[in-house]
Amino acid sequence: MIFEKRTERIIVPMFFMVALFAPLFLESNSFFVGKVTTIIILSIFVMSLDFLVGRVGLITLGHALFYGMGGYLFVILSPEYEAVNFWVYTLYICSISALIALVTGAMILRTKGVYFLMITLALSQMMFYYFFDSLEYGGGDGMFIFVRPETSIFGLSFLDLDDPQHFYYLALFSLFNTLVFFKVVLRSRFGRVVEAAKQNPDRTEALGYNIFAFRLTCYVIGSALGAYAGFLFALQFGFVNPSFFTWEMSGMALVMSILGGSGTIYGAILGTFTYEGLQYFFEHLTKEWLLFMGSAIILMVILLRKGIAGYLEKLLEK
Amino acid sequence: MQTILRTPKSAAISLGNSMTTELFFVQLINGIQYGLLLFLIASGLTLVFGVMGILNLAHGSMYMVGAYLVWYFFGVTGSFTVSAVLSALIALALGILIERVLIQRLYNRNHLDQVLLTIGMIFVFNSLQSILFGNDPYGVAVPDALSGSIPFTDNSSYPIYRIFAALICVAIAGLLYYVVSHTRLGMLIRAGESNREMVEALGVNIKVLYTTVFALGVMLAAGSGIIASPMSSIVPGMGESVLITCFVVVVIGGLGSIKGAFVGALLVGLVSTFSAVLLPSISNMIIYISMILVLLVKPQGLCAK
Repeated sequence: MIFEKRTERIIVPMFFMVALFAPLFLESNSFFVGKVTTIIILSIFVMSLDFLVGRVGLITLGHALFYGMGGYLFVILSPEYEAVNFWVYTLYICSISALIALVTGAMILRTKGVYFLMITLALSQMMFYYFFDSLEYGGGDGMFIFVRPETSIFGLSFLDLDDPQHFYYLALFSLFNTLVFFKVVLRSRFGRVVEAAKQNPDRTEALGYNIFAFRLTCYVIGSALGAYAGFLFALQFGFVNPSFFTWEMSGMALVMSILGGSGTIYGAILGTFTYEGLQYFFEHLTKEWLLFMGSAIILMVILLRKGIAGYLEKLLEK
Repeated sequence: MQTILRTPKSAAISLGNSMTTELFFVQLINGIQYGLLLFLIASGLTLVFGVMGILNLAHGSMYMVGAYLVWYFFGVTGSFTVSAVLSALIALALGILIERVLIQRLYNRNHLDQVLLTIGMIFVFNSLQSILFGNDPYGVAVPDALSGSIPFTDNSSYPIYRIFAALICVAIAGLLYYVVSHTRLGMLIRAGESNREMVEALGVNIKVLYTTVFALGVMLAAGSGIIASPMSSIVPGMGESVLITCFVVVVIGGLGSIKGAFVGALLVGLVSTFSAVLLPSISNMIIYISMILVLLVKPQGLCAK
């Protein structure tokens, strides 16, 4: 069983069951389907960040670099008025992002702690300014995606990305796969070494493992999945702009992952839904929603020691 | 939101637009003045991190608080000095309050919880700013006594207030140096940086020390906001842009090192003012490029212990 904790075995199936059937009771193009799709896509992004921050111990404030890359790579690579194949481009985007992560990671993983945090922030800020100042890629306005990709595999097509409901299921399917993928990776021998390296780097190194290589691999994996989330987000809204790269984006994802329960992986879903749910609630309640949002975050960090997942685990585990 | 604390490109009124000796000196003064201001903000950040191990992301918000308060009191009292003193006192009280009510609960938690808490504080302060003062940009008039310009050469001059601001920054930096290296409080600060448990074991009330240091950090940030207010516009989001620049400064210098913050601030100040003239196409990026270069050579910053 890849889900080790009782809480996961209760929460995860419950979430996916509700998520699977909920849209059947809603109109296909209703507001909620779109909103929840966005939150699901964000959950993928937050989950990939939680893997890096909570499990590998790479506290980055520049994860948005890959979120933006996912969107921009698609716009840059694909022809403007022609539907390309979704799966092929997913492969392209993830591999190129992985390559970028490999090169940058090899340079920056030498730094540790706050210095790593700052250098990742610097990289994403640089990309922000690069695209913000570029005339070729639309500057601060960004660029539109005019045609969504088609999704046929060997000539068989069962998903239409222009249909919000289909897009919703694609996002949900991706979230599920991401979750299972991370769980499998973390339970493997590889994942055990990563865990050991986080807890005690010196001893793990002494056992003969090359920690740097393990961390770099994780950085590449997490970044590629972060880029995939950015790609999906760009497809859902049909545009990319430099705001994808902002440190606020990285910071918000970090907030969501800590809120959900850092290092729990499934907590990313809880954190993202809680954050977005609260924001939606407060936004409709008052113009000054930010005050309530900030206060809610402060209260939660003081009251919940290990995020929402930690709280649920305290209730549900024996 | 993504505007760097305004670099004083327009400070000098210069008719020649090539990089003449004259323009070079004007930019040099601009760079030093901007760097000194950055140092003042960054010193609080690095002090709090060095002594308490807390990465205060809301540090930029304190800068914003200082600027908005001085604008508000200036409107009420009409005197810059009075408003500056009032704002600084409120900032001090705010620092003590925040440390006592919030920060103190998180000393035994990990850094991530502190990040989350201080991001929550950014939200609260931004929202309070919008509720209390609205979202229009404001400006504070330069005090009358300091409003003139010093003629520089035949066709350029330099505003007196900027020179005054630079001198104030130097004075505060000197005071800070004196406090840290020659007083009992400074001794405790240095001791707290190197060995927390030992300081506590020797009978020092570490809680009071932490509250003092945090309040001092808030005072430095708010004080910079007060000093900067006549030179830059007071706008929503000004805290965040300053925060990021300050992080770059303290990381270049080496986190926790006040000397490092000084070196880093001058470097960032000079690099960003000169690049605005010489390399306008990458001037936004240049401080990040400098930081990456520094970290690739010295992964712990320039003045790492």
